[in-house]
Amino acid sequence: MKESLAMFPRARIPYGTWGSSYFPAWQTSALAEVNIGQFAGEAMNRILGIRRVPKSELDYLIIGSTVPWHWKFWNAPLVASCLGHRVPGFHLEQACATGLQAVVAAAAEVQSGANDVVGVLTFDRTSDSPVGVFPERRAHQRTMALSDVWDNFGFDPATGQAMMTTAGNAARKYRLDRREVEDIAYCRYQQYFETKASGFLDRVLVPLDVLNVQGRALGRITEDVGVRRLTLDSLRSMRELEPCVTTGTQTHASDGMATLLVTTAEKARQLSPRPEIVIQFVAKAEMRTDPALMPEAPTLAVEKLLAKTGLTMADIAVVKSHNPFAINDAVFSKVLKYDWRKVNRTGCSLVWGHPQGPTLTRMLIEGLEEAVDRGGGLVLVLGCAAGDVGIAALLRVTEGDRS
Amino acid sequence: MTKSLRQSTLQTLGLGSVTDIFRGGRLPADAGDLVDRVFGGPADRGSLVISGANGIVGSGKMIQLSARLEPFGVRSISLARPRTADGIGPHYPRLVEAVGRERADRIMGNIVRMTYDGNSLPADLGKWHPRFLLEAIPEILEVKKEHYRLFRDAFPGIEIRSVTSGFPSSELGVGVAHPAFPHEINKIWEIVEDKTSPVTQLLWALGLIPVPVSDAWSFVLDVLFCGMTLAGLRYHRATNMPFWKIDKYVRKLAGPNPFRAHDVIGAQGANFLTWSCLHHLAQQYGPLFRPTPELCQRKQTSQNWYPLDHLRPLVDWPLDRDAEEGFADWILGAMFQMASLLLHERRGHLSHINAIGELCAQFRRGILAMIRSVGAEGAIRRVEAYHRLHPEAAGRSWYPAAFEQIESPEWQQLYVNAEHDGTVGVISIGRESYNGDVDAELNRAIDWLKAQRIDRVILTGDFHLATQMVGADTSEFFPALEDAREGHRLAAAWTATARRLYNEFKVSVGFIGGKRCLGGFLELLMHCHYLVAVDDAALGMPEVTLPVVPGMEGCHWPFRKANPAQWPKLVRLLLCGAPVKAPEAVEWLIDYAGPMHESLRTVWRLVNGDAAGLPMRRVDEGSLQGIPADVGVPASDNPATEAARKAILDSIRASTTVPLSDALEVQARHSAGFIAGSFCREGSIGAEHKKTMGL
Repeated sequence: MKESLAMFPRARIPYGTWGSSYFPAWQTSALAEVNIGQFAGEAMNRILGIRRVPKSELDYLIIGSTVPWHWKFWNAPLVASCLGHRVPGFHLEQACATGLQAVVAAAAEVQSGANDVVGVLTFDRTSDSPVGVFPERRAHQRTMALSDVWDNFGFDPATGQAMMTTAGNAARKYRLDRREVEDIAYCRYQQYFETKASGFLDRVLVPLDVLNVQGRALGRITEDVGVRRLTLDSLRSMRELEPCVTTGTQTHASDGMATLLVTTAEKARQLSPRPEIVIQFVAKAEMRTDPALMPEAPTLAVEKLLAKTGLTMADIAVVKSHNPFAINDAVFSKVLKYDWRKVNRTGCSLVWGHPQGPTLTRMLIEGLEEAVDRGGGLVLVLGCAAGDVGIAALLRVTEGDRS
Repeated sequence: MTKSLRQSTLQTLGLGSVTDIFRGGRLPADAGDLVDRVFGGPADRGSLVISGANGIVGSGKMIQLSARLEPFGVRSISLARPRTADGIGPHYPRLVEAVGRERADRIMGNIVRMTYDGNSLPADLGKWHPRFLLEAIPEILEVKKEHYRLFRDAFPGIEIRSVTSGFPSSELGVGVAHPAFPHEINKIWEIVEDKTSPVTQLLWALGLIPVPVSDAWSFVLDVLFCGMTLAGLRYHRATNMPFWKIDKYVRKLAGPNPFRAHDVIGAQGANFLTWSCLHHLAQQYGPLFRPTPELCQRKQTSQNWYPLDHLRPLVDWPLDRDAEEGFADWILGAMFQMASLLLHERRGHLSHINAIGELCAQFRRGILAMIRSVGAEGAIRRVEAYHRLHPEAAGRSWYPAAFEQIESPEWQQLYVNAEHDGTVGVISIGRESYNGDVDAELNRAIDWLKAQRIDRVILTGDFHLATQMVGADTSEFFPALEDAREGHRLAAAWTATARRLYNEFKVSVGFIGGKRCLGGFLELLMHCHYLVAVDDAALGMPEVTLPVVPGMEGCHWPFRKANPAQWPKLVRLLLCGAPVKAPEAVEWLIDYAGPMHESLRTVWRLVNGDAAGLPMRRVDEGSLQGIPADVGVPASDNPATEAARKAILDSIRASTTVPLSDALEVQARHSAGFIAGSFCREGSIGAEHKKTMGL
């Protein structure tokens, strides 16, 4: 292991200054009713308040989202205004990789010296996604309408395939056993409920009330609504939609936000409630696999990452895999010969849903908290993204300043 | 020789004691005489000039003063820079609403509009003979001073007052008359002058409320209002809580919405004024008042504190008990420290310092009443907790010794004073709504008079801070909405106080000198052996409209004093909620109505035992029969009103058919039961409670 490896030596994530909303399933909560950009800005303000970080500390804001939202033209500056602190910033988007790319981009901002305290704020509302109307002169319809979430999930223009089809293709390629995939899914549910019962999620998730336009309560976002208590028998009895894909072995759309800060070593010590904890960026890798094989892409990205860093899976303390399909984890375990039980020990997007933009941010936050609980170590975060892309990043959590 | 529990606030205006008013049978200052003194006699009547008259302050004061001076033939000259937006015209619709079109046209027609370039005065200004300049131009000291020089050169001897929020009179070189928002209707003026002038007495005679304060950087209102805003800003910096949410918790804690107030007043001007006041206060008194970066930024940008309508807040969260306590440390700690400075510097009569927050800054209780309620030690602890959160503030401008006199009459009688001349006592109430503080102070005033062996008493407003008596402070009912025992306690305690006026004096005379006396205050005053009102006073029992059931014996006491033939009028008064004019209420609700001077003389005669043809209406202590329920009041479409009417009739029936000795308890039970019921909770008091306390 190359101890000195650090992708952005100047950048740190200050421990404990992060947070996420719960991720209620689409159309099940008050989040279906709101401008998610505004919600995210206000929620970030609240989370920073709880973490005792004055928002005035922020220099810059990188927002990440994938579903168009009202007034998105106004971008990060508008969200910053909703947060209550007028800083500049920009919007970043890479489908389901957004939540990790935004964090890496923030680290690059800090590393470059352009900004010292960069907020990362990722969010999406899959509920009631907008419908775009696009002039397409070469299409016989001349004008095409696109429902942003569902039409995209169902059709990759580059391959003509649906997301779910890529999962089936991966299952075929790796000759996955449906029973094992269901065992993985069942384990993931168990991991989530055990984590929830332990109180771990209280360090990650922040309950929020949502107001209507009259200022009255519209709803409370206090649960990952939509998470079912599935039994193994019920998983086994579900209709197979693609090989190894059932409603129980894939995620569901949801709404939410997640946020964290990236800053310098000195500022991290100042802002964190536990300044002795140091979180550094080690490396990042991305891969694009063959057409319509999206679930294997993150595994390929991890292989590339390990090759670049000279690390092995034995060096990794925490693995967090964004798994819209349990197949993702099955492929990962099979290729890297890594026990899937050791992956996603504190929950994952297969279970708590997939609001797209913030998904990998929440995965990262959970992974960092888990690493702290384990006394530090390397945290591997991986996930797939539209276009058969995989992304993986490594962060190091240590106690004691290594600046 | 008049002895008093504490100095009367009237005396701070050089207007003598309240006793003097009754003894002399006339008010201590006459508006006509004072207009002559300030503006010259009818033959050479001069004019009022307001400069900066298109601004929020200038235009509001133009309407307020022009309305009052127009009947005396005093022209009002509006002086404004060219190309400033008209600030006066927009007042017209509300003026019409308030006084009718004809009168509104007369008032507006009395205003002469002129423009000037800031360097020289309009050539034809002189033809209006300016006698009094009220300066309301921007808060830039040198500009103001140059402005005064221009006027003094052109009009030697002209009286000048500045409305400044922050500059002391000693810096300006003119007196200060600092008004409060909303300027067209708020009657308070903080006055800084060496000696009470005819201008100040004229303000009083015109029905306004001048309150003398000492000369300092920023006056009492601005220390309290800007200070409250700053306390909220500091909490914001510490916790990120948005301004709208801080407002809600400040409202729950103390009453005001400081950030909303800035937006309503107009963020451009209000942000600058708040910054200006705090900036100067910080220079004088240190970090306690230092503006935060958010305020400095908004001073430049004029940005509102609340989000725009299309970005109304989405995210909310509750504060737990500990967090609310921390919030109180940030807000009250800062406010109590600022109050210690006001006291240390003897900025004014304690009742004035206390009342300014209530009358101008939406405080539910004045700042000194708040401190008094927690005691000196509690207040000091609160400030010390604030210093732990904001250590910078601890270094300067903290005077805990200022709370040492908290047991003195000046502290203990913020709202109620008592005087006597050895024979006749006068209790004056300086608060327009009745609350627990007033009740406690009224008891202490009665105790004092009894200890002084006074058995003849007049109960009246204070001719100064309270210009009307609007009834019970309904925020006092909030605990009773959820707990009938609390409602019962309140009704029984307040009624017991009212009965002392009847039981403990040989003669008690209530006097209603203001434009209205309603609800709880009317119930209080009707316990006097005699009740006298000026003839333009409106009297009413509007409880049914809230809805509540009267709980200070309004449902039986007046019936026991009235001839049965008059009972239908009382029932109608209680069931309709509409007021009656004083002359219509003689013999069944009050004993006499007449012009002010006649009424004052009548009160004095009655209290001295000269009934003057007005036999005392005795209270029937037995059981009354035959009070009608149907008095021709048309049914209401509103179920809450109908429910309240039924409850009021039940209370009348139950409390009049028992002996007087039992009636207090019976009517308190009825009142408390209704307040704790669904109709009251869903009515205006319940809505106010939810808005204020339901976070």
